[in-house]
Amino acid sequence: MQFSNARPHFRLEFRLIRCSQKEMAEKGGKGFSLPKGSLKGKDDNSAKSKQGRKVQIDFEDPLEPNSPKTNGKVNTPISKGDSGKGGKASKAASGGKNSVTKAPSPEFKIEEELPKNVKCLMDCEAAEILQGIQDRMVVISADPSIKIPIPQLSSFVSSSFDSGLTYAKRGGTFSNPQSVRKILEPLIKYGVSEGEMCMVANLKVESDDEVFALVPSLKSEEGKLRDPLKTALNELAKIQSSV
Amino acid sequence: MFFHIVLERNMQLHPRHFGRDLRDKLVSKLMKDVEGTCSGRHGFVVAITGIESVGKGLIRDGTGFVTFPVKYLCVVFRPFKGEILEAVVTMVNKMGFFAEAGPVQIFVSNHLIPDDMEFQSGDVPNYTTSDGSVKIQKDSEVRLKIIGTRVDATEIFCIGTIKDDFLGVISDPGSTS
Repeated sequence: MQFSNARPHFRLEFRLIRCSQKEMAEKGGKGFSLPKGSLKGKDDNSAKSKQGRKVQIDFEDPLEPNSPKTNGKVNTPISKGDSGKGGKASKAASGGKNSVTKAPSPEFKIEEELPKNVKCLMDCEAAEILQGIQDRMVVISADPSIKIPIPQLSSFVSSSFDSGLTYAKRGGTFSNPQSVRKILEPLIKYGVSEGEMCMVANLKVESDDEVFALVPSLKSEEGKLRDPLKTALNELAKIQSSV
Repeated sequence: MFFHIVLERNMQLHPRHFGRDLRDKLVSKLMKDVEGTCSGRHGFVVAITGIESVGKGLIRDGTGFVTFPVKYLCVVFRPFKGEILEAVVTMVNKMGFFAEAGPVQIFVSNHLIPDDMEFQSGDVPNYTTSDGSVKIQKDSEVRLKIIGTRVDATEIFCIGTIKDDFLGVISDPGSTS
């Protein structure tokens, strides 16, 4: 991997080696390592990965000129109890020792990339829709008088459907997606986009500080957004605890 | 993130399917062709939820095939740069770990894992903090941020980080959350 020190523009090069998960797990247990030289970036002639495919991912922070000097660590009160313990998604600030060298994280902007007629769905809404489809197919398939062409059962065959439904239902969802949307929709007039609103609902955040840390684009509206956000989060917590 | 979107597709139908059930056959073929696929622009098509309209068929010159423009509603899943989501770890090695969020695979490099977590090889490879309080292993749930996406013809692959605030392990495998 190559990292440029001058700007937060960095490129990751690595090989995707197609093998089964089982093989990978076995290899991982024995100290899996990529073939030598595969990370040096310029060994296109390496024949070690027969099925490998080199993938380059370039990413730059679009807000590079405006990025804070603390490199994306915004509003991070360091808890006295947690002395910089990494890895745990706790209420306190996480992160390692050298926060200074962290590159600014990309901002969440979907409106520019998607057409106007797209509706963002919260995970609970998607779970409701997909579960409805699955229930209908189960009922129809159980009725011997109804002949279903095999392609219409493709929802069950397709792994995207199964994994999508499992993901949407993970960790318990809100039982009434409409009330969740009603609670969060007033935030739109304070500058929160629909995508950001859905992300807040999906993550089941506990505090307004957490929201501003996870969605840095909302920091600009922090003054007028903080109180309505607190109210909305309290209402969401009530709905969750009543389930 | 999930989206509900209207897409359009030109469906070709062989003349043997013409008849009373032409529309049903068209919808069946659409579901077979589209569900489970992935495009760079719209992401993974998880399920078709309805047909908005079926346009007039156009007979192709030289063949008997007819092309119908079909508009349909579907649920898609597409990851975005900057998105925070919760994923389940599927594999851990010394280069980092792989996680899955729905149909999307995300790779978190060891450079984007907090510095106080180190790789421990063994039967269950994992990343653990120095005091052993936090562990990332297979089936752990983690909250991560997507920092890069790579779009292929038929799949989307993401790079993520857990090195920011409020990111990291949510629950360990087997624990009740």
